Amino acid sequence: MTGSAGLGASAGIGATPLLGARGAAVLLAPTWLLVLALLVLPACYVFWLSLHQSSFGQSPSFVGAANYVAVLSDRYFWRALLNTLIIVAVVVHVEMLIGLGIALLFADGVPWKPVLMAAMLAPYAVSEVGAVVIWRYLVDPEIGSLTKLLAAVGLGPIEWGVTPWHGLAVISLISIWLHLPFTFVILYAARLALPLEVYEAARVDGATRWQQLRRITLPLLKPAIAVAMLFRYIFAFRLFSEVWLMTQGGPARSTEVVALYLYVEAFRYNRFGVATATGWIMVMVSALVAVVYLRRVYREMFAARAEGVA
Amino acid sequence: MSTGMRASPGWRVLKAAVIALAIAWSIGPIVLMILASLRPPREIFDPAAAMLFTPSLESYRALFRQWPDFFAGVANSGIVTIFATALAVLASALAGYAYSRLRTRAMAMSAFGLVFLRLIPPIVTTLPLFPIVNWLRLNDTHLILILLYATFFVSLGTMVMRTFMDQIPVEIDEAALVDGASHAQLIRRIMLPLAAQGMVAVAVFVIVFAWNEFLFAFIFTTKAAKTAPLVLAEMTGAVDGVDWGVLFAAASLHLLPVLAFVVLAQRHLVEGLTAGATKG
Repeated sequence: MTGSAGLGASAGIGATPLLGARGAAVLLAPTWLLVLALLVLPACYVFWLSLHQSSFGQSPSFVGAANYVAVLSDRYFWRALLNTLIIVAVVVHVEMLIGLGIALLFADGVPWKPVLMAAMLAPYAVSEVGAVVIWRYLVDPEIGSLTKLLAAVGLGPIEWGVTPWHGLAVISLISIWLHLPFTFVILYAARLALPLEVYEAARVDGATRWQQLRRITLPLLKPAIAVAMLFRYIFAFRLFSEVWLMTQGGPARSTEVVALYLYVEAFRYNRFGVATATGWIMVMVSALVAVVYLRRVYREMFAARAEGVA
Repeated sequence: MSTGMRASPGWRVLKAAVIALAIAWSIGPIVLMILASLRPPREIFDPAAAMLFTPSLESYRALFRQWPDFFAGVANSGIVTIFATALAVLASALAGYAYSRLRTRAMAMSAFGLVFLRLIPPIVTTLPLFPIVNWLRLNDTHLILILLYATFFVSLGTMVMRTFMDQIPVEIDEAALVDGASHAQLIRRIMLPLAAQGMVAVAVFVIVFAWNEFLFAFIFTTKAAKTAPLVLAEMTGAVDGVDWGVLFAAASLHLLPVLAFVVLAQRHLVEGLTAGATKG
């Protein structure tokens, strides 16, 4: 799977370079211009702004860490952070478990594979708005299919607009539903890339299905699972649209997540300093997970290269 | 493909049941919404309504009458999606070729940088961009969405393209250059056609993302360039009660083209994810 994907794959090495540095710079220009102008510069500017006091259209003055102090002493921030951490933990881990299970079943062989695959991928095509529309219908207290299912096992209706944890639970469900296809496909592809010979050897040795899973599949899939998981942590941490469209953070700011806290502080309460400090905190948290992620990716690529040599 | 075990009947039943559950979980909600959009509107929230019903296009007709905004939104989404995809695919293909063919330490660092920067949360960049975009009078234009959508996909796109370019033997480059072709000719006439599959894979990601994106559209467009997801959100937020039939019709219309596209392009989607999503 990783053979030719690695940074150090062998194309061009040893031969005279096909492409000079100047040629490469021209080819990279469009991509890097976009990234620098709309990603890097804004992110740096956020850091600068977070150290200043300003509002839209006013000239900023330096305030040091005051904005960070304001964020860190705001209980709404902590509430939002806690909500985010709970949602990320639930969503990513449930997704990994279900995604892995289904990926392994698909790899084991299923009939009409293109059809079943298409069915599994379908939620990937749904917009966040569309997903919220669908799920608000499913959890409707009167008519919702999920409400009826829950009632059948003796559980009351989901009061997502009233009880905060009900709201968070529905948001988590929506998020899992939307992103399961991604996790599933990553793990399915990783499973298919495992060498067949190991399984043949195991079969010759009389290993049971359970032993194969415990001793071969899971250990070999571990790097891919770790990479997919870190990747999903980073993306789940940005969660905004589902929450905004479902509860707008309410009732009484109890279901806010960090991205939503940032948004309302900036655009509703005009506390631009607090918002930019939150923004930079988000960048730092993402960067922290990203460093672990990139080290994993790098190590996996390195391992793949060593394998290729051997 | 299979693990080569002989399947016991118990295992087969268990497997079929789990897969059936997974499929129901995946497409059940979508099917329920599309069915609801085809019900006579009065029946949608009637608990006593029968399971079976004669399909009606009443909700769709009401959508046409009451929400011209939605169709303007679909047109805006279409324009933004097409141009964002073209820009992202082209930029990624060029960068992917560079990263594939020039293997220096600096290039490796730069590729890592690209992956790393992509992990910056989009909402963070909206804070400083908001006043700047207003100042440049780019707010509520297609252009700002096109640029932003392309920006958030050139990184993944570049990595996918590099993987595909890596599979094209360098001897082809060498032969073309020896024959006196310029790099521009080599890339345009030979590399891009040979890496067409990779370009399709990248296009799938950008199309699905741009068609569905909410956050940037929500912050940077208000009227003229308002995209379809934004109009859908407006419908859900109607103060005087939501007109669910109309909303389901609109959400179904918005979903169907991209759903058909994902189903048709599923092979490319899987390839693209494998080539770029979790790889550096």
